[in-house]
Formats: sequence, C-alpha cells, structure tokens
Amino acid sequence: MKEREYPQARVDCLTREFGNEVLVYDQQRNVGHCLNPTAAAAWKLCDGKKSASEVAKILTQQLSAPVDESVVQLAVEELSKARLLVEAEKPLRRTSRRHAIRTLGIAGAIALPLVTSLVAPTPARAASCLANGRPCVSNAQCCSGRCGVTSGHCGA
Amino acid sequence: MEKLDRLGWAEGIGVRAFGVHAGVRVSTAGVLPQVLPLLPPGCMKSRRATVQRLYSLVIAEGSQRAGVRRMHILYADSSRIARDTELGHVLAALETDLHRYIAEASPEMTFLHAGVVGWQGRAILLPGRSLSGKTTLVRELLRLGATYYSDEFAVVDDSGKVHPFTRPLGIREDSTYAQTKYTAETLGATSGIKPLPLGVVVICKYKAGARWKPALLSNGQGALELMANSIAVRNHPHQTLQRIQKLTAGTVFVKGTRGEANESAEPILNLNLLHRSNRGEKA
Repeated sequence: MKEREYPQARVDCLTREFGNEVLVYDQQRNVGHCLNPTAAAAWKLCDGKKSASEVAKILTQQLSAPVDESVVQLAVEELSKARLLVEAEKPLRRTSRRHAIRTLGIAGAIALPLVTSLVAPTPARAASCLANGRPCVSNAQCCSGRCGVTSGHCGA
Repeated sequence: MEKLDRLGWAEGIGVRAFGVHAGVRVSTAGVLPQVLPLLPPGCMKSRRATVQRLYSLVIAEGSQRAGVRRMHILYADSSRIARDTELGHVLAALETDLHRYIAEASPEMTFLHAGVVGWQGRAILLPGRSLSGKTTLVRELLRLGATYYSDEFAVVDDSGKVHPFTRPLGIREDSTYAQTKYTAETLGATSGIKPLPLGVVVICKYKAGARWKPALLSNGQGALELMANSIAVRNHPHQTLQRIQKLTAGTVFVKGTRGEANESAEPILNLNLLHRSNRGEKA
C-alpha cells in the first residue's frame, strides 16, 4: 500500500528519447506527449517507491543544479494531468507554478517541468479534406465538417 | 462482398505501392484508362491474386433521364464509399481513398501529412492539417526554384529519408474548397526523384496579414508535431515513432504563423542554409 502513496509512471506507453526530452505515446488514449528535460528526468524516477523529496535529491545530483521538492511536485502534477502516472491512492499535493518559479529564482538553472500534449489524428483527419459537393461517408472527410446523411455529399 | 463479386466486371488492375497491394475493377469496359492516372506515384502493376483492398466501381448504365438519377457507385471492399451522378467525383473519391489507404497500411514507409520540397540536397517539410496553406506555400517554394516532392504526403523510409510522392498539386481556388490539379512541370518546376535527407521542418499556418517570425522548436517538440501529422500512428505507433526519431536527427524545427506565401517562402529556403551551417556542411 505504501508504494501507491508515491507517484508511479505508467509502463504501458511507448517512449522515445530525443536528447534530454522524452516523447511518450499513450496507446490507450491515442495522445502523444513531449516531456521537457526536467519533466522527463522526474518521470523516469517516478517508480512508486520514491517520495518527492527523494526524487528532488536525485535530480539535484543528475542535473548538477539545485532542484526543490516543489519543482518535483509540479512535474508530478503535469504528468498526472497528462495521465502518464498510475493513479495515486492519495490525492496529489498541489503546488502552483508561481511558487515553483519563486523557488527556482529568476535565473533558475533548470527549466520548469513541462508536458506538451497533442492528439494523434485518425487517418481521415490526417489527410486532405474533400470539397463541398464531393461524395463522403463521414464528417471528418469534409472541409466543411459536414457530410450529408441522406445525400452522402459534403455540404456547405 | 459475394454479391459484389457476382456482378459482371469488365476490366480491372492490381497494383503494388509502398508495400501495399490494391486492386480496382470496373463494371464497364473503357473506364480503366481514366483510373490509371489516379494511381499513387511509384506504384507498379501486380499480378497477385489477392489484394489488401479491392475497389469496385459500378458505372451507371443508360442515359440520364428527367426524374431518374443514375449513380456511379464506388465500393472499397464491401463498403460503399461514394455515389454520384458525376463520374469525375467518384473517381476523385477513389484517388483520395486509395492514397489514404496506402498511407495508412504501408509497412515500408511512414506517411506524414505534409508538403515537401527539395532544396540544395535536403528536404523541407511543411506538415499541417487540411486548409493550413501547405500547397500554396509549396507552389511559392517551387517558384523560387525548389524541387517538387509532394503537396500531400512526406514519405519516410527506415533510414529517415524522404521519398517523392509527386501527385499533381491540388490548388484550392474558391470557397467551396474545390481543387484544381497542376503538375509541377506546368508550374515551371521539376519533380524530385531521389530520396532526400531532411533539413528543415516548418510548422506554420496561414493567417491574413501575419508576419513570419517563427520560433525554434526542440527536437522533442518537433517530433510531437510530426506525430500529430502522421497518418498511421494510431495503427502503427512503434514503427511511426521509430521513423520519426530517425528523421529528426540533426533537423531544424520552426513553428509560426505566416502571412502571404511570397513573404515567407524565401526565409524558409534560408532556414535550410542555417541547417547546413549547423552541421558544418558547405552551402
């Protein structure tokens, strides 16, 4: 039970490293996430066994810069919002971005943790859309976003 | 499907493109020559008995009479995907669906929804959703001397090189989104033949009156943008991410809003020079 108290990264996602960043693809939700170096480093340490302060200590060593616990909490919050963590038994301790910035100082040696997410398109959405009056089978195919149910043509 | 099979089929063709086998059959003799120009670039005739996707085009027989609308009908396997009194519209639906299917099912390549031009031995990729102004920008880059690779798909192989998909440019000219087709040659440009390594990825959207002041993206952010424009990421995420990773090595990514294409095209070509100097190559 104690293990679930601490943040744990999901292991069922595809990951690829791009330098210090990590691209995570969530196959369940068809969403891609880019973790910036701080978020990526925190995510790799979220094994369900380490507390935020323990993660902060390790990050301080890894990044050769002081990392406060509030920065780790912010990273955990970002990861949790992106649904990249196994749901915690205990609710997460909230921390504000403003507080984390204050802790880091104006010229912080590390960037604030950031997770950018984009939805993977369906094949129909990823291809060029059809002009009005062209035959269609779904709204996603039409530039206007409307495929007539009875006419089977893209409408204005 | 059996019902469709029982219809009389006058002629047909099997093709292989990018590792995908597809077939087209038509109910009336003499229609097939109209289908051939719609096949994807680089496809070859195939004699395989089975295909992954079979298109069946039923041509409306008899003359059009008042009160009676005779429809040409197109099926993809057993699903009806288009019906129209205009054969041209149904053929356009065949082209769109066939190209999309190949993009989705290809085991050999990853298809990204993007315009592509070649410039000084590197590919410039312009990924973006429909109506973001890809084709307009591609046309402007061609006017400045770039080589045409595609206005629809960037085709990426295992080594991260970009292959040509030189179907005619579909230029939208009015508010109905209708496209007029132009080959690169009719626009005074040449079409690329060799696969190219990637130089620059430009993620941009047209906005009237906007000034082109792009921001540099990190490789991770750039890869995320490419993922969001890949056709088959939902079906083949592992393979797609692997090829995107290969593609992004040493690539410059920029993102911004652009105004008119003639204002942003030249700075985009210059970005490729920036990429070359970053890698220590001679311009």
